[in-house]
Amino acid sequence: MGKVLFIDYERCIGCRSCLAACRECGGHEGRERNYVVQLAPGITTQTAPMLCLHCENPACARSCPAEAIKVTPEGVVLAAAREKCLGCKNCTLACPYGIPRFDESQNLMMKCDLCYERTSAGSPPMCASVCPAETLSWVDEEVARERVARRSGGRVPRDFNFKAKVITTAGLGGWGAADFSWEGVLQDASD
Amino acid sequence: MTTAANAPARNLMRPGEELVPTHCPFCGMQCAMYMRLDRATGKVVGVEPRYDFPVNGGRMCPKGVVAFEQINHPERLTRPLIRKNGELQPASWDEALDLVAGRFRELQGRYGKDTIGLYGGVSMTNEKCYVAGKFARVALGTRNIDYNGRFCMSSAAAGANKAVGIDRGLFNPWNDVELAEVIILGGSNTAECHPTAIGYIWRARDNGARLVVIDPRRTPTARLADVHLALRPGTDSALVNGLLHVLIRDNLIDQAFIDSRTRGFEAMKELVMRDYAPDQVARITGVKAELIEKAAHIYGEAKTGMVMYARGAEQQSKGVDNVLSYINLMLVTGKIGKPGCGGGTLTGQGNGQGGREHGQKADQLPGYRKISDPEARAYICKVWGIDESELPGAGCSAYELLQAMGRSEVRALYLYCSNPLVSAPDNNSVRQFLENLDFLVVADFFLSESAALADVVLPAAVWAEDDGTTTNAEGRVIRSRKAQEPVGEAKPDWWIMREISRRLGRGQYFDYDSPQDIFEELRLASKGGPADYSGITYERIERENGVFWPAPEDDPGADNARMFTQRFAHPDGRAMIHAVPYRPAGEVPDAEYPYYLTTGRLVFHYLSGTQTRRLPFLMQQAPEPFVEVHPDLAARLGLVHGGKARLRTRRGDMALTVKVTATIRPDTVFVPYHWGDRLSANQLTNPALDPVSRMPEFKTCAVAIEPVS
Repeated sequence: MGKVLFIDYERCIGCRSCLAACRECGGHEGRERNYVVQLAPGITTQTAPMLCLHCENPACARSCPAEAIKVTPEGVVLAAAREKCLGCKNCTLACPYGIPRFDESQNLMMKCDLCYERTSAGSPPMCASVCPAETLSWVDEEVARERVARRSGGRVPRDFNFKAKVITTAGLGGWGAADFSWEGVLQDASD
Repeated sequence: MTTAANAPARNLMRPGEELVPTHCPFCGMQCAMYMRLDRATGKVVGVEPRYDFPVNGGRMCPKGVVAFEQINHPERLTRPLIRKNGELQPASWDEALDLVAGRFRELQGRYGKDTIGLYGGVSMTNEKCYVAGKFARVALGTRNIDYNGRFCMSSAAAGANKAVGIDRGLFNPWNDVELAEVIILGGSNTAECHPTAIGYIWRARDNGARLVVIDPRRTPTARLADVHLALRPGTDSALVNGLLHVLIRDNLIDQAFIDSRTRGFEAMKELVMRDYAPDQVARITGVKAELIEKAAHIYGEAKTGMVMYARGAEQQSKGVDNVLSYINLMLVTGKIGKPGCGGGTLTGQGNGQGGREHGQKADQLPGYRKISDPEARAYICKVWGIDESELPGAGCSAYELLQAMGRSEVRALYLYCSNPLVSAPDNNSVRQFLENLDFLVVADFFLSESAALADVVLPAAVWAEDDGTTTNAEGRVIRSRKAQEPVGEAKPDWWIMREISRRLGRGQYFDYDSPQDIFEELRLASKGGPADYSGITYERIERENGVFWPAPEDDPGADNARMFTQRFAHPDGRAMIHAVPYRPAGEVPDAEYPYYLTTGRLVFHYLSGTQTRRLPFLMQQAPEPFVEVHPDLAARLGLVHGGKARLRTRRGDMALTVKVTATIRPDTVFVPYHWGDRLSANQLTNPALDPVSRMPEFKTCAVAIEPVS
């Protein structure tokens, strides 16, 4: 098993370096294909990167009437082929994470291709190369599991349960043991 | 044991391109990166990670990723500008330089040599900073030179000199952080201000380290803390005295270390045991006593630990006191000079470390020598080939230099690599000081707010257009490389100073053709000083991925990555523990101005924003400043998220968009400072200065707030 994209969510500092770096990969034409979302704005500073984890049986590709979304032998779910994409947005609606990004100006769907030019040559994708907090990394699966396991109680699933459906991905999402709940108010001892 | 930042990997190579290894121009991390150079055009067109450099392993924050976009930015200054009929108009270099030299000579003839001030910055290489200090003393003969590090590192520098006898930002290499069982961060939002450093802290957490963060805001750094001590702004020294009280009371100290390697413990003990019990400290700081107890025990019971502090603690009128307090924590527990033990300050500016060591500071000569020290003066005069009577004494600090302009004691200013109209406190006054000058020269690569007021603007090269060295936050001297020729007619700062020197008849002292020429002289000038670079060469930096100072030439095997393993830098080899009574801030809330205002950085911008406000990706993320307000305070004042509030202090007022968030104390509001003019937070801040470091109090003042309908 080669290296996988691992998202260690609790590390995210919200810097969006992954977006800036996505723009810099060859073939991405200066446009990012990933997202960073702010969780519970006004309550916590926790943010989370939203990246394609490259499903084993990708809903985006299955929903595409033009068969514009190809899956490589390594399991990388590529962006829509420019000459085939109809601009119907089925893929964006089908993806449980809303990852495929529709570019109105080009009438074209763009999504993470795992920096295929890099990863197919054994190098990390740009987002995981630069992420300063190491929220994103390109590691052996055991490294990811061991890292989260050391922070007691962490889990690193590759199966994501959407009630009616379980989605299995190539990449890994890691939830550490940190408590995401929020006390709500910083207390003033003297009051 | 730990996972490296990144495993070595290959870069994506595009046809017709080559990769130039260099470092980021922004913060003190000085992350390594490659510039993508297009061979056909000779222009930098992008960035690639440098996986093999030990500090960051290819990792970069968003500022680093897009830094290259400023090199060929359409707003670059490409020609000298001279103000004619009130307008800045293009001119030739000869015309501009002749004018500058002529006006300097004329004003000095009329008002004396010290009428010229120099105000610099440490986003420049060591070579440029060294030439700047020499340019002031040798070419212009003025004592009045200081720089923006006064607003950044001066409190940390003064505190370290007093406590451990030397000022090297971090006492340890970065990878010591991963060996620490506990990390205390005092006034540091590491995640946003030194983003690649947070990787080390998160990796330490993977190993089981506990994290204590001292900050009025629950920042992305404080979010994962085991204990977050959300103190009232300006009460750091009281809080740390409380931690020291618990450590001593519960015998969590290292008495053998205290006895053999320090002085001053008893006086400190008497003070903290008498006045700083946790419940007393809770009343001053607003932090619950039980959290003070918990944090002290986490730190005291661990075998290893690091204490790191930054501008939150240092940018106060008692910044030096706060630094001494944090170093006390290391000294009483013996957690210093060992693997995973130590800490220090997190350098804010790119070359904040090296730029303060080689003579750009008002009271310093190269090698971190004191300008008042007769031996140092004699040595440097010999290196420079001047008579000692020609070497001026100490000048005044950055803010006091600006004030001296307001009093016409300084009538002309050579301003380079800095934008005090945005970055200095109480900048409504700073505008008056600048406007009061007879003659203002600004060397910069964009037309900053300060440059817009200039009589002459000189187009400077950016970092990627020149060679040179910088010194990162851990004291590692590294090499930046020229990736392309300067745009238009822009020139490196050392070239500009050399040309002015020639026109002043002092060109023989500035006979440099390259940064390496300057570095060779810097090596000699620093030799024997505290910041000794004599054993460092460009070749050695390349071979060893940077060299830690001190690096004396006659001790080539010296490994000073981790300091104080055997002795401290005071003459007797001992560190000094200081008794630090708490003093209130220069201004505290009252009936008229009832809340605390604190200011700081965002991850998307750097310093005065002259660079980052011109980079589209960063402006998309953070287009304008805002004020962070706790929901309770917002409810009390009738403020709504997304609405406008007016903030008013004794210095000025401004309207800001309200960001309601529970991640800040209810009695405190926060404004980021990276914008200019009416969006500048420094219209509000208090120029109360630390008595020792002359650091202004950016981090706390009293503010009134009202909704704007």
